[in-house]
Amino acid sequence: MTFLTVVTRGLLRRPVRTGLTIVGISIGIAAVVALVGISRGFETSWQAGMKTRGTDIVVSSMGSALTPKPFSADAVERITPLPHVAETCALLVDLMSVEKAEMMIVSARQWGGFSWKNLKVVNGRLPNDAAEKAVVLGKTAADVLQKKVGDTLQLETGELAVVGIVDGGAVVENGSIILSLPLLQEITGNEGKINIIDLRVTAGTTKSEVTALCEKITSLVPEARAVVAGEHIRDSQAYKMISAMSWGTSLLAVLVGVLGVVNTMLMTVFERTQEICVLLAIGWRRSRIVRMILWESALLGFLGGLGGAIIGVGGVKLLVLTPAIRGLLEPDLNPQLLATAVAIAVVVGVFSGLYPAWRSSRLTPSHALHG
Amino acid sequence: MATPHAGAGCVFEAIGLKKEYEDGQVKALRGVDFRIEQGEFVAIVGQSGSGKSTLLQMLGALDHPSAGTLRYRGTSLAERPDLAAYRAHEIGFIFQAFHLLPTFTALENVQIPMFETDRSASERKQRALELLQAVGLEGRQHHFPAKLSGGERQRVAIARSLANGAKVLLADEPTGNLDSENAGVILDLIVNLRREQNFTLVLVTHDMGIASKAARVIAMKDGRIVSDKLNAP
Repeated sequence: MTFLTVVTRGLLRRPVRTGLTIVGISIGIAAVVALVGISRGFETSWQAGMKTRGTDIVVSSMGSALTPKPFSADAVERITPLPHVAETCALLVDLMSVEKAEMMIVSARQWGGFSWKNLKVVNGRLPNDAAEKAVVLGKTAADVLQKKVGDTLQLETGELAVVGIVDGGAVVENGSIILSLPLLQEITGNEGKINIIDLRVTAGTTKSEVTALCEKITSLVPEARAVVAGEHIRDSQAYKMISAMSWGTSLLAVLVGVLGVVNTMLMTVFERTQEICVLLAIGWRRSRIVRMILWESALLGFLGGLGGAIIGVGGVKLLVLTPAIRGLLEPDLNPQLLATAVAIAVVVGVFSGLYPAWRSSRLTPSHALHG
Repeated sequence: MATPHAGAGCVFEAIGLKKEYEDGQVKALRGVDFRIEQGEFVAIVGQSGSGKSTLLQMLGALDHPSAGTLRYRGTSLAERPDLAAYRAHEIGFIFQAFHLLPTFTALENVQIPMFETDRSASERKQRALELLQAVGLEGRQHHFPAKLSGGERQRVAIARSLANGAKVLLADEPTGNLDSENAGVILDLIVNLRREQNFTLVLVTHDMGIASKAARVIAMKDGRIVSDKLNAP
């Protein structure tokens, strides 16, 4: 028998209460895993989309909305002549309710721009020209919208032909409705406006040159900001708000878990007052009693953390299968996040055990002779 | 009252020992003096409220006296820096209500005090098995307290009290929760173990039949020692 045996037996004394406490912590930790995993997934999914398009720098104006604010397409002409700029592609990207789907990414791209080149046609074809009233659907978008080549798609007031299904190589690309820039400008009343410029730099451009280029572009195009691809999401106020809300909600859920552990461990100490006094009477040091209580609460936290990680991962996997989210993002459930969640749970456990442990340390062994 | 039982191996010496509770409203001990020698078997008798259990608590360092001095082997307990070590290595306790831990088997209960020693897990287990054998519980080591009879539970408690090689055994009404047959068996077991291991035994009881087995009987009333006599061998 080891000290860990003593600790686990303490928890098994009231298995139902211990189980319920673990469930309480698990829910809190599952919320951490799910919310943070989703918000991070939002960032990484967009980063992956950028990467597959071969974008090095993104010029956009990330405000408080999930998509960037539109600005004049003239900005492209100011950027193109700059040194280290290999090619640019103007885009107008929006999140729209399309037919039965509550939220779809609609990505309109400058005709002939490099952002078309990563698309592999799975079925059908790409539009013939910028004027053709046609869209191609990422393969996930086609599934969500239940469309095939030859169908028509109602995009606000515009009726467009689905001419192809494409594989964009990333979740965001595959979840998008892709069309030529002028079509979406016309449909949404944004003639002459874009909200993203994808930019590729010339081969051999150094990191510091990329940084200098970003600064130059930002000064030339004050209505937008140039950042290295991927970072523009992190730069977004909306993303920051989502991220803060994720952590805030998670912390609230964790707080509920803390109260659960404090309650359980306090009850444990109250119920086991005589038992603890007997341990003191037979020679256990107060520090060992304190360690026993803290290890019990840490073990509660650890088990709750493991349970929460499993529930969180399972829940998110189910969630991304729902039509509302499918194709919008791939949750980022990396091992580091899961390890952090379990670590949070252990810290919560130890923290919650401090007061009960202190209470237990103040008991006097003479109580052992009573009763 | 000064005791006549002086000797070279004095284990306990109490001088003017007092214990008050609730700001002096309750006087549990009102000035107690005695000496207990190495290897003695002393019964402390008295009615409920006489102060005998309070005195046992003082001897076991479970509580502090309000006044007076209590020495263990010449050193005042009040001056000992580590009373937990005293309780762990010098003293063994046997309680009327057994006080076994319900979620641990007999074998595990006996191992509990040994966490305060340097013994490894396997050494603790081996020692516990030997002790359970010594109290006649071989074959019952994997039973939880709820599955043991009262007599068996007290045997486990006795084995636990001797786990760290106690030099003094303090027993608080050890047969109080047992029927007369089991009470006799348990008392004989304690007496025989004392004879084999030569530990000092201080036993609190209100049963004069049990006290008659002791070599010396200290009678208490209203927090004072009213008699301190040797029993005829």
